[in-house]
Amino acid sequence: VIEVYAIVDADRLEPADGLGLAIAGDLAAVWGPAGDGEATPEALWRHEEIVETLIEAGDLLPVRYGTRFAEAGAAADAVAARHDELRAALDRLRGATEVSLRVRGAGSDLQARAQARNRVHQPLSQLARASTCRPEAPGELLRAAYLVDRDAVPVITRRVAELQGEHSDLSLLCTGPWPPYSFASA
Amino acid sequence: MTDRILHAPPDLDLFAADHPRLDGVLPSRLDADPEDVAQGLAQLVLTVVELLRQLMERQALRRIDGGGLTAEEVERLGRTFMELDKRMEELRTHFGFDEKDLNINLGPLGNLL
Repeated sequence: VIEVYAIVDADRLEPADGLGLAIAGDLAAVWGPAGDGEATPEALWRHEEIVETLIEAGDLLPVRYGTRFAEAGAAADAVAARHDELRAALDRLRGATEVSLRVRGAGSDLQARAQARNRVHQPLSQLARASTCRPEAPGELLRAAYLVDRDAVPVITRRVAELQGEHSDLSLLCTGPWPPYSFASA
Repeated sequence: MTDRILHAPPDLDLFAADHPRLDGVLPSRLDADPEDVAQGLAQLVLTVVELLRQLMERQALRRIDGGGLTAEEVERLGRTFMELDKRMEELRTHFGFDEKDLNINLGPLGNLL
C-alpha cells in the first residue's frame, strides 16, 4: 500500500528520500510507502514535512493526508482519470503559497464576525490571488486563507501589521507560508 | 510552529488556548478523604483490568477471525470471556461503578476505553 503526497509536473526530477513518481501523462503523483494508517499527530507532521520538502523543489498540488492506493499503477490511473481538473488546479497554484489568518476579539456574534470580514479580510483579499474563509472556531471572529505569490508574503505580512495597528480591539495571528491546502480542491 | 508566525498580535496567548491541553485529564486537586482515596484506587485498578480484558478479547477475536483455532478452542475462549465479563460486572457493582466510570479521559487522544 502506498500513500500519495502531492501531484506534480511529470518532467520534475525524481524526488529523493525513498519517494516514487507515478506518471500519468504530464502529471505525476509523488508517493511513498504507507505507514500503519493510524492518524497520529506524528503521522500528520510527517506528511506535512514531506509536502513541505517537495514544495521547496517546485510547484505542487498537495494531496490530503490519508490518500492511499494499493500500488503506484492505481495512483497513476486515478490521476489520469481526473487529469484535466488536476492540471488546471496545479496551474492555478503555480508560484503561489498559502498564508493563514485568524482573528479574535471581543464579541463573537454575527455582527462582530461580519465587521472583522469587512475590516480585515476585505483589504487582505485584495492582495491575494485568491482567498477563502473557513468556519470560525469558538471565540474566533475570522479564519481565512490567502493564496499569494511566494515573493509577496512580506507584502501581505506588512498589511496584516498595519491592520493590527488600525484595529487595536482585534487580535490578528498570521502564519505561513504553508503548502496551498486551502486552494488545492480540484 | 513559532517559525511560521508572520505576524503575532500583542496578546498571542489568546490563541494559545487552541492548542491541545491536558487540563481536565486529571482532577486539578485530589480529594484526600481516606474513603474516597480507596474508592479512587479501586476505580483505577478496575479501569486497568477492564482495559486488559478488552485488549485480550480483541486479540482473541482476531485469532478466531484468522482461523487458526479449532472449534473447541473457540468455544473455550468464548466461555472464558463471558465469564470474565460477568466477573467484571460483579466487581463494578460491588464498588458501585457503572461502565462509564471505568474510563480515563486522555484529553486530545480521547477516552482510554
